[in-house]
Amino acid sequence: MRFLHPFTLFTLAVALPALAWILPAPWGAAGTFAVAMALLLTPGASPGWRVARTALLTAAPFWFFLYLLHGVGGMVPTGLRLSTMIASFVWLVAILPPARLVEAMVAAGWPVSAAFLFSATLQAVPALRERAQRLVDAQRCRGLATRGGPLVRLAALRALALPLVLSALHEVDERALALETRGLVPGARRTALAPPPDHWSERVLRWALVLGCAALFVWRVA
Amino acid sequence: MSVRLLALIPVAVAINLALSAAVDAVGLPLFLDTTGTILTTALAGPVVGILTGVLTSTVNSLRNPTFWPFVAIQIIVALYAWLAARRGWFRSLRTAVPAGLVLGVIASLTSTPISYFIFKCATTGGIALTTKLGQLLGLSDLGSCFFGSFVSDFGDKAVTFALVTTILHALPRRTAARFPLALRAVGRA
Repeated sequence: MRFLHPFTLFTLAVALPALAWILPAPWGAAGTFAVAMALLLTPGASPGWRVARTALLTAAPFWFFLYLLHGVGGMVPTGLRLSTMIASFVWLVAILPPARLVEAMVAAGWPVSAAFLFSATLQAVPALRERAQRLVDAQRCRGLATRGGPLVRLAALRALALPLVLSALHEVDERALALETRGLVPGARRTALAPPPDHWSERVLRWALVLGCAALFVWRVA
Repeated sequence: MSVRLLALIPVAVAINLALSAAVDAVGLPLFLDTTGTILTTALAGPVVGILTGVLTSTVNSLRNPTFWPFVAIQIIVALYAWLAARRGWFRSLRTAVPAGLVLGVIASLTSTPISYFIFKCATTGGIALTTKLGQLLGLSDLGSCFFGSFVSDFGDKAVTFALVTTILHALPRRTAARFPLALRAVGRA
């Protein structure tokens, strides 16, 4: 599956949950969930059991809370739908490196700023999370009380959040300068270095999925 | 959109998603996952705020796709923060906290139908348990779903608004002046 164009993988991952909600429950959702699990577990072509386990562990709390709120009858249809959604996206994330998606976006003529936003965000989030953890440790070393009454905790929250956010905002100028130096100005277009091949059959498959979902939706609503 | 605003958006998304570490450290039942959205809207207007919100939901969905349907909340938060900035509600905590409480009501009214129709109210642990409490109190399914959302959103948005106001006031004037709307939002323009 990894050889498929990123847009095809993305369309598949979106179409499966859409079908899970459109098709009559529980069999429609059971079918889409089976397809999603097959995508995760097909030998040699898929991410494999470890990723499938991640999907199942992510879905498990939803089954529990659905059972708690609605009993077995209410749990099964929604549980299958949510599990389809989770399994499809876990599969997508496992099979599609963000850099390949960005390359496909650039090759498809998307503005380079859109591709930048996506890739820069994916890099910024773990970096700032790590800094947040360092700040928490540093403030605790300085004797910051993070436990106690609500007012004590809110004061601690302020002491943790303020330096984190202010330091992040100070970085914006440096980032902007770096972007301008590299010629990344809004509206600029780039040529993709290694655009993923997009065969006509994949384009047909994507359109068939989109139109199929739309037709089924109209059929269900009518 | 200027390059500075383009550079601001990924940072703001990271703020939305990294503040959970601070929340975990103090053990308060808060999300603070709209802080960056509200902050960028106050600094640079609704378009930047909406882009920040949508990107936050997208990146969060890569970890857990059940966040994606709630993208509408991020958009509504950005639009409301735009109104708050224009009306000067970030000028002091006395106006910011009530404005945040109102946003809490709006956010829970918006998230209730999403939570009810897509998740049957079984979203995150705390909200699902509060929804169960609503059921035990005799509320209808939709009523308990709103009760769960309301309890989680009401305080969260008030604290978020207070935090953004504190950040805006703590920004050095030179830094604030680099963003088109920051000084006006805190009444220093």
